[in-house]
Amino acid sequence: MHRSAYTHVPFCRHRCGYCDFTLVAGRDDLAGRYLTALDQELNRVAPPTPGGRVELDTLFLGGGTPTRLDGPQLDRLFDALFRRYRLAEGAEVTVEANPSDITPDLVGRLADAGVNRVSLGVQSFDAAALTTLERDHAPTDIPRVLETVRRRIDNVSLDLIYAVPGQDLRSWEATLDAALALEPSHLSTYGLTFEKGTAFWSRRRRGELITPPEESERAMYAAAMDRPAAAGFHQYELSSHARPGRECRHNRAYWCGDDFEAFGPGAANLIDGVRRTNHRGVLGWLKRVEAGESSWVEEERLAPEDRARELVMLNLRRTEGVEREDFQQRTGFAIEGLLLGDLEEQESLGFVTRDDAGVRLTREGRFVADGVMAAFL
Amino acid sequence: MDPRFIRNFSIVAHIDHGKSTLADQLLLKTGAITEREFKEQLLDDLDVEKERGITVKARTVALRYKHTDGETYELNLIDTPGHVDFHYEVSRSLAACEGALLLVDAFQGVQAQTVANAYAAIEQDLEIIPVVNKIDLPVTRIDDVLEEVETVLGLDPYGAVRVSAKKGLNIEDCLAAIVERIPAPQGAPDAPLRALVFDSKYDSYKGVFTYVRLKEGTVKKGDTIRFMRGGSDHDVIEIGQFAPLRKECKSLGPGQVGYILTGIKELDQVTIGDTVTHAGRPAAEALPGYQKPKQMVFCGMYPIDGRDFEKLRDEMQKLALNDSSFSYAPETSDALGFGFRCGFLGMLHMEIVQQRLESEQDVDLIQTAPNVTYEIEERSGDVYKIDNPQDVPDAGVIEEFREPIARVNFILSKDHIGPIMQLCADRRGEYKNTEYLGPDRAQLTYELPLAEIVYDMYDKLKSVTSGYGTMDYEVIGFKAADLVKMDIMVKGERVDALATIVHKSNADNRGRQLCKRLKKEISKHQFEIPIQAAIGGRIIARETISAFRKNVTAKCYGGDISRKRKLLQKQKEGKKRMRSFGSVEIPQKAFLSVLSTDED
Repeated sequence: MHRSAYTHVPFCRHRCGYCDFTLVAGRDDLAGRYLTALDQELNRVAPPTPGGRVELDTLFLGGGTPTRLDGPQLDRLFDALFRRYRLAEGAEVTVEANPSDITPDLVGRLADAGVNRVSLGVQSFDAAALTTLERDHAPTDIPRVLETVRRRIDNVSLDLIYAVPGQDLRSWEATLDAALALEPSHLSTYGLTFEKGTAFWSRRRRGELITPPEESERAMYAAAMDRPAAAGFHQYELSSHARPGRECRHNRAYWCGDDFEAFGPGAANLIDGVRRTNHRGVLGWLKRVEAGESSWVEEERLAPEDRARELVMLNLRRTEGVEREDFQQRTGFAIEGLLLGDLEEQESLGFVTRDDAGVRLTREGRFVADGVMAAFL
Repeated sequence: MDPRFIRNFSIVAHIDHGKSTLADQLLLKTGAITEREFKEQLLDDLDVEKERGITVKARTVALRYKHTDGETYELNLIDTPGHVDFHYEVSRSLAACEGALLLVDAFQGVQAQTVANAYAAIEQDLEIIPVVNKIDLPVTRIDDVLEEVETVLGLDPYGAVRVSAKKGLNIEDCLAAIVERIPAPQGAPDAPLRALVFDSKYDSYKGVFTYVRLKEGTVKKGDTIRFMRGGSDHDVIEIGQFAPLRKECKSLGPGQVGYILTGIKELDQVTIGDTVTHAGRPAAEALPGYQKPKQMVFCGMYPIDGRDFEKLRDEMQKLALNDSSFSYAPETSDALGFGFRCGFLGMLHMEIVQQRLESEQDVDLIQTAPNVTYEIEERSGDVYKIDNPQDVPDAGVIEEFREPIARVNFILSKDHIGPIMQLCADRRGEYKNTEYLGPDRAQLTYELPLAEIVYDMYDKLKSVTSGYGTMDYEVIGFKAADLVKMDIMVKGERVDALATIVHKSNADNRGRQLCKRLKKEISKHQFEIPIQAAIGGRIIARETISAFRKNVTAKCYGGDISRKRKLLQKQKEGKKRMRSFGSVEIPQKAFLSVLSTDED
């Protein structure tokens, strides 16, 4: 039985140039239909009766921008969820939030609904970088925003982006330091990627956006690991840093290979080894659900070996890597038996290390994790 | 048919001077095709030819033409290829003719292949009719062009026919000139049969079409014929001509051009240049034949997937059937596994073959850099030819290392002489002669090592002369040179398929260029890859492909997992299309990069 659930809220004021997520910008008028459809989709988990409720350890509202919904709409959303789900003792409930949406009223409403973790899309403390990224807040807004959130919810994570065109190592270090100075409980540090179909993709092709050189990106990633560590954070995943006990349990479920449910357009779940993905268009998803059809448009059942290899890819993101016993239990494969020579090769290149506990990326391996993972797939 | 009413001719021209269009017009004007059937480049029936707008394989068409003298003539148009690589095919087509139309562009004038083709026709003692084409162009220089015809080729310009093949202007004059000026073939119909085999073609229904030009005697259906050199006898099942569609006829007499079907299924049973005679009444002497075409360019072709070896062999066999100038022999490379060493007339020929192999069969190929044939004389006195750099023996045993030398004619404007002379000097050329074609144009003659021209001389010439210069070459022999084998090491391992033969004076330079080029072609790996060029044991150049320094996807959450996995798998798949050497994947393009002489 799944103990984690994700809900995708596909609304934004504006689609930022780098973003390829499922969302609609400037179509808040669809929120009502979305909430009705979501309620419908949730029926597949359990009928909305108090007795049939499924217990969750983690619940995550992502987007898009969940805080784009207004108060009553948020209430409807939580109502729909909690008519199917109940929270286990100490459960983690995260909401992604855009800093400019934060008001005392919103925070109060979230806290009242049970939200105990907020992930803030801060992205940068460099005004120029924020402009490039097309964000609608200023660096100076953040201390006040954080203070507002913390009045009710103390577990706050900040999302930061590096390797923004025009950004140098100094600017990134300054962003990291500014973020750490605010003493969040968690940091996510993401290297900017250029995805096909985004405005950034075409702008880079036209030469309007120039990515920092590889060496510079490497230095930024190194800073992303070292600065939080120096401030008492523990890196538990390639891009995630937490104060002790503040790791994001929901995201860890993905990397551990646990089952999870997922709702809303473009969301993908994993139940009993089968991954099913919802229609990626907001309107497409709406229409399917409204017509009483399944919102799933893709189903992936991997062969046991492929599943095991995929789990290697996910596990390696974690600092503890692939844990021998856990891996064998989940997949039926011994890690060494599965990866044979590839493991030795990556080890000899200095990218992974092995011991009784399992297989992990080395620090050097983190810099080139994609190549290491590809070797194991 | 009375030979008096037969004319056999070819059209020769520089590429793009309108040969195919004129041929189509002749077909149209003589009613061989209707306006409706008239389509461009009718004679070029191979796809590859259409794509490249050139004729590769000779074809022949019999036309009926009613002359103003009231008589009907049979005009046999024997098509010739227009590219320098196919010189051999040109001469063998010309051997079946008494005359040739020398087609010259009214603006571009005499070009290198005009000269080469005209000389080939003169050598065969053909009547040459100069034809100036494209007289409808807004800007022409007809008078200058005619002067070039006179001064360069020594032909009488006064009888030149002026046409526009595109517009169909003065085509009648052309036909009249063919009848009036090209001599009728000679030969007695009752003499012992002698027919020259000038081409053959395989057809999956009918077997092998043997194209013949009768010199003497008559051949009929039901006759038993003999190939005088091949020594085999066959019954004639069918004879006929192409007009342009296949048309059976009762007999072929002296001077006529047509085909013979005998039920032969294998193309190699018919030798181009052989003489056909009657088994019962053989001629005393065979006609002078052809020399075997000389393959001057060789390369290795390997299936990327070793399992495709047999498939590739079958395909090469089929190709060789229809193209006697292509050769192949199995070879093995440490780096590439099992493949073939293939021989070609030139670079264009090589490209065409490769294109056919890839399009007709679903075989992905790795092609090694082409090289020319070399001649080695060992200290022991042994002399032999090699067509693969890997076969170069130890420097210690070589008495003399010889390379093929070509005489190259350039035709270009005066202003381009300097740059081309520089280019030739850079390539170890030996200056021979300059001849002015007119006040502004000149013919420049050099002797150059073939290896220095086959790869990219043509492209260089085009770029130096903004497209206006032309060239033609002919291999004239072998000459000793200071040559060495250059090895390439990738991550410490010698990759045999990347070895090349270079001139010592140029080795350091080529080594550096090649290492740089390979650095560009080989993508980054998880580790550093040194690339070295070496002569004997001495490293002469080195580049390093740095390892990935940062290659990590920042985000991977629930909805990203599948996509991310597929993306990484795809990267891995992509590598399967390459060959790995040790742990380095080398893409196909890298093997050809050996050729490039660009400085970048």
